Amino acid sequence: MRVLDYDIPDDLYYSREHEWVSAKGKTAVIGITDYAQKSLHEVVYVETPKVDNQIQQSQSIGSVESVKSVSDIFTPVSGRIIEINEELAESPELVNQDPYGKGWIAKIHLANFDEDMKKLLTAKQYANYIKSLEE
Amino acid sequence: MAEPTQRTHLYRFHKQTGKMTLFAGFEMPLWYKGIIPEHMAVRNNVGIFDISHMGRTIISGSESEAFLNYVTTNNVSRLTPLCAHYSTMCNEQGGVKDDFVLSRLEPEKFFMVYNASNRKKDFEWLVQNSKSFKTKVEHVSDNIAMFAVQGPKAEQTLQKIANSNLSKIERFKCGWTKLEGATVFLSRTGYTGEDGFEIFVWDTPLSNPAKAEKVWNAILEAGKEFGIEPCGLGARDTLRLEAGMCLYGNDIDENTTPLEARLGFVVKLKKERFIGKDALLKQKTEGVKRKRVGLRMLEKGIPRPHYEVWKSSQKIGQVTSGTFSPVLECGIAVAYVPTEQAVENSTVMVKIRDKLAKAEVIRFPFYDSSKYGYRRQSSASVGL
Repeated sequence: MRVLDYDIPDDLYYSREHEWVSAKGKTAVIGITDYAQKSLHEVVYVETPKVDNQIQQSQSIGSVESVKSVSDIFTPVSGRIIEINEELAESPELVNQDPYGKGWIAKIHLANFDEDMKKLLTAKQYANYIKSLEE
Repeated sequence: MAEPTQRTHLYRFHKQTGKMTLFAGFEMPLWYKGIIPEHMAVRNNVGIFDISHMGRTIISGSESEAFLNYVTTNNVSRLTPLCAHYSTMCNEQGGVKDDFVLSRLEPEKFFMVYNASNRKKDFEWLVQNSKSFKTKVEHVSDNIAMFAVQGPKAEQTLQKIANSNLSKIERFKCGWTKLEGATVFLSRTGYTGEDGFEIFVWDTPLSNPAKAEKVWNAILEAGKEFGIEPCGLGARDTLRLEAGMCLYGNDIDENTTPLEARLGFVVKLKKERFIGKDALLKQKTEGVKRKRVGLRMLEKGIPRPHYEVWKSSQKIGQVTSGTFSPVLECGIAVAYVPTEQAVENSTVMVKIRDKLAKAEVIRFPFYDSSKYGYRRQSSASVGL
């Protein structure tokens, strides 16, 4: 769906810190939302986590830097990093251009997605959350 | 409570086309298209900035020169009419009250342009210190709109709508002209490192911004063929940082002296007297203990204000300004380090979010001055 000026794909889950997660079986892909990339604008550097790192939901696992500011990446799920988006090193602007696609940040082997879900929002809930922030 | 937010003459334009931010109590554009494209427009072509939020004061009277020699650090007697210079005002301890550009309009009339964040403080300081001089200090910010047109195509852009020959106004000189029929004062100065002008649209009160809007729109139209971009405060900050220019409140303040900030060229210690002279003379004699330096990141990461600077497992200083440099495409910073560490081409570390990243101490400006900035080789001089 599209709310205000922001894309919020229906099939993803969201954190209040503006990360998205797409889970299939034991594997999840995470990234930052359209709202997050638009707020940061002009991403010039993404500090990605290291493969094999064990991470806990809501923990800072890296950062996204724009010209003007820096923002933590808080993982929306717990587990182990199995892959990071190597392309972001050369092309951090992918986060702006395609936040839900080529701008993905990490793949994670899920530890307990049912538990993670308790803190995550559906697209509809996240849309309402964005609206409340913009008011 | 904070004072109510202020707006400039161009507020309507900014609100319609820009991403807004609050700066020094003003609702200002942070960017329109984006910091990087706006920054590069100024380096390669031309950009226009609304900087009407800055403070502007006219100082006049038979003792205005004597007064300004007393309250500022540069030599005002050397400033002939229609010339401008960069300068500072200091407190008795030699700390920087503010930095500004002073223009001499007439033998007994000066025009001072200082930081928006110091509008009130500077005016009060000027008034307070002028009491024993035959001089008048008049705050005129709200009756004059101020734009900066910066970049290698700035002169060509403005010449299209000016009724006098702008090439006659050299760097740090000023003059009067008409732009699109409106009387403006302009100085060949700026805060980007590039050639360009700062334009003052005279007699245009905030309550009736039509004249200011007309001049702004005319410049945008004239600059179209050169790729002009309206630029926000974001690009203004990255441009001045690349040029190695100070931002008051970040790189200089009342606890920093102009000598530490490497602004010694505007401190004329041979002048008979001025506020802060004794302290600055003493510091000059004893030698400054710390200095402002430029840092270019050799590793990934973007330095930001307050990040620590390390060398040989010791904290030696602090970043006061930092950003991503669109021209160098890496992180750059301004930092203060002990004088003995302020060695060009030496390596230090910047603590970026708990990790130490390598940086090189470099000379200002950050960019290659043969390719960028007002000293660049013009295409004419290389025979193109």
